Amino acid sequence: MAVIRDIMPAFQLLQPGTVADAQKLLAQHDADAWIMAGGMDSFDWLKDRIKRPKVLVDLSGIEELRGIRATADGVEIGAMTRLSEVVGHPLIKEKYGLLAQAAELVASPQIRNQGTLGGNVSQDARCWYYRAGWPCYRAGGNICYADTPVGRNREHAILHAERCVAVNPSDTAPALIALDAKFVVQTPKGRQVMDAEHYFVGPEIDITRMNILRPGFLLMAIQIPSTWAGAQFYFEKMRDRNVWDFPLLNVASAMKLSRSNIQDIRIAVNAAAARPLRLKAVEDAVRGRECSPATGEAAGKLAVQGAVPLQFNAYKIPLMRNLVKRAIGGVQEAAWAS
Amino acid sequence: MPSPKSEMQKFGAKYKLIGKDYPTPDLYAKVTGKSKYAEDFRVDGMLFCKLLLSPVPHGRVKHLDLSKALAMPGVKAILTQDDLPAPADSVTDLGVTIKANTQGEKALTMEPLYQGEPILAVAAVDEWTAAEAIEKIDIEFEHLPFALDPLETLRPRGPNPRVEGNVWVEEENSPPRVGVLKWKEEDFAPAKYGQLPMGKPQEEWSYGDLDAGFKNAALVLDETFVTPDTSHQTLEPRTALAYWQNGKVFLHMGTQSTVQTLAGLGRWLNMDRSQIVLISEYTGGGFGSKATGYIFAIIPALLAKKANAPVMMRISREEEHFIGRARPGFQGRIKAGFAKDGRITAVDMYAIGNNGPYDEAGDVGASGEIVSLLYQPPAMRWRGVTVLTNTPPRGPQSAPGGMQGIVMMEPILAKAARQLSLDHVAIHRINSPEGKAEWGPASNGKRAHATSAFLKEAFDRGAEQFRWKERVAQPKRSGSKVRGVGVSSSCFFAGSVGYDGLFVIRPDGRIAIQSGIGNLGTESLSDVHRVVAEVLGVPWEKCDVIWGNTSKNLPWTCVSGGSQTTHAMTRAAHAAAMDGKQKLQEIAAKTFGGTPEQYEVGNEKVFRKGGGRSLTLAQAAQRAIQLGGKYDGHEPPPDVNKYTKTSIAALAGQGLVAAAKDKYPHDGQSFSYVASFAEVEVDLETGKYFLTDYLAVADVGTVIHPKALSGQVLGRSILGMGHAMGQKWVFDPQYGHTISRRFYHTKPPTILDVPTGMQWAALDIPDPETPVGARGIGEPPVGGGCGAVLNALSDALGDEVFRRAPVNLDTILTSLEAGRPMQEPLTAFI
Amino acid sequence: MGILEWAISPLGQNVPIHIAWFLIWVAVIAGMAFLVVHAVYMRYFAGEKEFAGGATPAQAAQLPKRVPRHSLAARLFHWIMAAAMFTLLFTAFLPRVGVQFDWVTYHWIAGVVLTLSILFHIVHATFYMDFWSIWPDRADLEDARRRVQRFLGRTAALPRKFAKYPLENKLYHGAILLTGLAVVVTGVCMMWRVRTLFFPRNPYLFSDLTWGLMYVLHGLAGVSLITLVIVHVYFAVRPEKLPITASMIVGSMSREFYVQEHDPQRWVVEPVLDPEQGMADGD
Repeated sequence: MAVIRDIMPAFQLLQPGTVADAQKLLAQHDADAWIMAGGMDSFDWLKDRIKRPKVLVDLSGIEELRGIRATADGVEIGAMTRLSEVVGHPLIKEKYGLLAQAAELVASPQIRNQGTLGGNVSQDARCWYYRAGWPCYRAGGNICYADTPVGRNREHAILHAERCVAVNPSDTAPALIALDAKFVVQTPKGRQVMDAEHYFVGPEIDITRMNILRPGFLLMAIQIPSTWAGAQFYFEKMRDRNVWDFPLLNVASAMKLSRSNIQDIRIAVNAAAARPLRLKAVEDAVRGRECSPATGEAAGKLAVQGAVPLQFNAYKIPLMRNLVKRAIGGVQEAAWAS
Repeated sequence: MPSPKSEMQKFGAKYKLIGKDYPTPDLYAKVTGKSKYAEDFRVDGMLFCKLLLSPVPHGRVKHLDLSKALAMPGVKAILTQDDLPAPADSVTDLGVTIKANTQGEKALTMEPLYQGEPILAVAAVDEWTAAEAIEKIDIEFEHLPFALDPLETLRPRGPNPRVEGNVWVEEENSPPRVGVLKWKEEDFAPAKYGQLPMGKPQEEWSYGDLDAGFKNAALVLDETFVTPDTSHQTLEPRTALAYWQNGKVFLHMGTQSTVQTLAGLGRWLNMDRSQIVLISEYTGGGFGSKATGYIFAIIPALLAKKANAPVMMRISREEEHFIGRARPGFQGRIKAGFAKDGRITAVDMYAIGNNGPYDEAGDVGASGEIVSLLYQPPAMRWRGVTVLTNTPPRGPQSAPGGMQGIVMMEPILAKAARQLSLDHVAIHRINSPEGKAEWGPASNGKRAHATSAFLKEAFDRGAEQFRWKERVAQPKRSGSKVRGVGVSSSCFFAGSVGYDGLFVIRPDGRIAIQSGIGNLGTESLSDVHRVVAEVLGVPWEKCDVIWGNTSKNLPWTCVSGGSQTTHAMTRAAHAAAMDGKQKLQEIAAKTFGGTPEQYEVGNEKVFRKGGGRSLTLAQAAQRAIQLGGKYDGHEPPPDVNKYTKTSIAALAGQGLVAAAKDKYPHDGQSFSYVASFAEVEVDLETGKYFLTDYLAVADVGTVIHPKALSGQVLGRSILGMGHAMGQKWVFDPQYGHTISRRFYHTKPPTILDVPTGMQWAALDIPDPETPVGARGIGEPPVGGGCGAVLNALSDALGDEVFRRAPVNLDTILTSLEAGRPMQEPLTAFI
Repeated sequence: MGILEWAISPLGQNVPIHIAWFLIWVAVIAGMAFLVVHAVYMRYFAGEKEFAGGATPAQAAQLPKRVPRHSLAARLFHWIMAAAMFTLLFTAFLPRVGVQFDWVTYHWIAGVVLTLSILFHIVHATFYMDFWSIWPDRADLEDARRRVQRFLGRTAALPRKFAKYPLENKLYHGAILLTGLAVVVTGVCMMWRVRTLFFPRNPYLFSDLTWGLMYVLHGLAGVSLITLVIVHVYFAVRPEKLPITASMIVGSMSREFYVQEHDPQRWVVEPVLDPEQGMADGD
């Protein structure tokens, strides 16, 4: 049978107005249902006719999944809150600027106006082989086309690759890990609240999914505790183009200093592996040490230990080393004006 | 350093309209969204079609079963290769018959030569049904060997992209045919060291004493450079709508040319041009890819005939990647000798162009010609091979070949300046063409020459405006950042001659200017006709430009491509205006007595010099109708093209018909020139760089429309920058598939990738060989946009970082880490 | 529902990619069903075992008290292989039925252990063991015929006692050999598809279709092994087979069991001078 792409097949569109209705629909349709948030990932799959759900559950009409609320201990952001709202929200900007910075570097203004925070952290891998509809591991097959002697893998993983070498492309995910955010997930068996890093899944555990969401699961909200409010933040995203591009690598850190010493720190990178990586070894190594270029240098070296380059992505190793270094030791900005 | 403030440029001191900005006739529709592109049209009973694209890079359909698709409700017709007319011969304007190339590209094929090539088209009541029908088609392919990289197929036992071979072979008096070119194993020895192997070329030429040039050189550099294959990425894809009425086919499509597209359509449909009506009022960009339309437009036309209903073919962005054309990537090598003062003593150039599987793109040949003009080597040898591959077909893209030649040459110039301790502007300036500069190989012992060149003046102007000396003297390194400045020469062909101008002074006093130019976004469509109003002394508000529909009696017009329109059609407009003026004077003399020379035209009147009786243009038009004959178009000028004559005949009697062929003298070939300046800031810890400033100074002759010129100078510079900064194709070598198939995968530059304060300037020195003095500008800036960025990068990072474009942070970072160039030196499509 | 999963290759061909995973449950159910049927048969339908011939008391008296059956090397091989097999089955199929963990590395390491142990076994069995003892011979087939005839109530001569291995055991070995070789050969090739210590990853060693068939064969053999292992374990714990099972641990079986089940002409055990002592060398 011939293959055609770039034209959306028919499906049943369901637009629940409440979480309860959404859950009912998801329970009813189980694995036949596809959950759509902003659609920035979904439409890609749908119009290529690669993912062919019978039912599309569009969450955009559920008001309770939207909005940024101050809580007793921090802030709660509805999963369907648009990235541009996250970027512009005064509370986020003031206390959790790391997330605002990360969200502002996602894709392009149009995509940020449509894409949601929940969607950004839950998006699928952007590996061009996988996205072309090739039957790779991630698509349920038995091969990785990117990690072959001739695979074109410039944007692929340097760490924790396990058969699949795709990376997680989210910009907000490492920021949320650095802020020690909790993800609130509604499952058929009840509500679960988990640490941000536990939301993500590597290929060694499940090669076909990027996160713990299974049929019937719904990411409800992301809670950021006040623990790291107003800490010293660093976010940097490397990409080919200055807008509308996925990260080649990004880094997010939150640091608390006591005088010039690192009292506590959380740091994460993304686009280095199939899930955002919290660099716990780095955190442990620099905690209590002086916040200095030397500490940054050591941290960078530690961060890339065990990294394995593919044919075209060796640059990611010095890149990650240097981004981690800068996150801790700071950037030497140019002295000239422009 | 803050961007230099561009001085407010004033142009056209001696003109009322030329050199001035004005609201173009398509402006309102474009900014309000009222303009209708091909896809915006709807016709009663219209069907939609979708294409089945080849999943194999080279193969044959060995089994095809359409029954399930045809049985679907709503499916109206399926078009395959069998429904296409046989390739037709074509007759040139001069009456020479060109035999059809039976091995050329077809709209649909059962022997696909690249992944994504259209196999068949299904027409149905809607696109959804057509797509479902395609999924029901049972199709199997026989797989044939394929080649993506030119060097791969040139190897002795390398695969051939076509059953017949891997290159086009030219033969006298017959169409080109596909043949085999293989190099010897020993030719590939240099590849081990990252240098381009140089086996037997397809073509070569030379002039001057090459050996003496190298012998006398103070410095000889021998550099291999690889340039990217880049999609045109026009905003409007190759969408088309077609229907038939009374034996005529009506086609709505976005094409660069209006009049000149008919010839291609006629050939592809094997129909007389008079039976084809092309409607193309608005075109969403072409950059060469839609110069005279595109063969795929015949798919809806033939489907409409088969299904007996109008058919709309909307092309998706992904389909556009496959059929939308691209610039051929080059694997090139140049050996250049330099004297102590930087003057080039000799150039030995070798270019391999990746052509895709079909008709030969002229890039490889043009690269040598442009290098010979732009850098004026006293001795030069050029050798070239255009290699067929199983990658999407290439076509001309803004400065085809010229751009690649410049991009091969510029890094060498910059390296020479560093090694000879010369100023970069100085080394460009000293090698710049001047006046009637010679170019290309000698023919009958004589080399061709340019009409004029003021590139040195452009460098002088640019160096001052860019504050070049100050920038060079600044510190390079600060913190983790390093700064670099670069400069580049650039030029391209910029004009042709011999076309017709046509307008009617109507009895209401308005002037209807017939424009056969396509509306491809450059505004030349109306810009060139400002000359008519200028010559006649008529306010622009009284002129109506008629365009975009071949049933509207248009004159014979140049292809809206090759940067020729502004030059060619200001000449034709000038000729027609002079004809109109002459006719007005004659009508006045006939009406009031005296000789035509005693009358003057101006202020919407023809009047007796020194005062006296006058006719308004309205009155003159009425008189022209009364007089008939040549005055109202009943007797067309004998020397205009027969196409123009048909239009004149249709307009006859509607007013004073002015028409003329451009027969102005023209000594030399017209080129336009650009001096480009760029500044970059590179972060050594990430390899990421920002283009912080850019200036392009253009030598385009007389400036006609400053705003449109600025759009071209900077817009096309950005097109070139894309080649330096990230635009490319990537293939999977195992399956021969494009894997950078999405728009964002191919990374065309965005507005945030270029400096906010980009500047441009134009010398506004008239070209002496054309009456208005104007030359074209679409393509000349492209090479400079790329070259200046590359040279700024090597200024910042040295010569040991990159040897191919684009240059991304990965290249920079890995090379800096290793202390030597780390990118694969020759492999295509990485 | 097909027993294979198909995908469209990049070149537009339909290629199998692996077995449908419901076959795991089919294999488990088949194993369990065999177990139940066999247990019911043994409990309600099987008659007393009757043999013709066997060891005379005089012969028996010369036998050692413990009849050697499996050498240490053979036992080590068996248990290493068993451990590898269980590891392989669990790492392969648990993730498919919802128990997710990082399985690939354990799987291929166990696969390497299995492969090496099988290689050892082939060499060892060919050159150091009674190679033919595990292959069915004419007597086995004739006795099987007799047994079936008798079960059906027809008259047939009594079957003889077993050689070293009963026919079922031999057939089981044959099945294990076939499935084992299939998984091992395909599995070794599949190691080019993942990152291991041994060679650079090269998924393009074979064509898409060849690889697809290889995955299918690996899967089919794999699920067959589920059934075979269930059957094997079942027999190992059946009371009347426990002496055999025990012999795989301690290396020998009692003289009584030997005399009762085996034919000394078909499984020759060297007599010893003092049967109460020691044990003849095993094979």
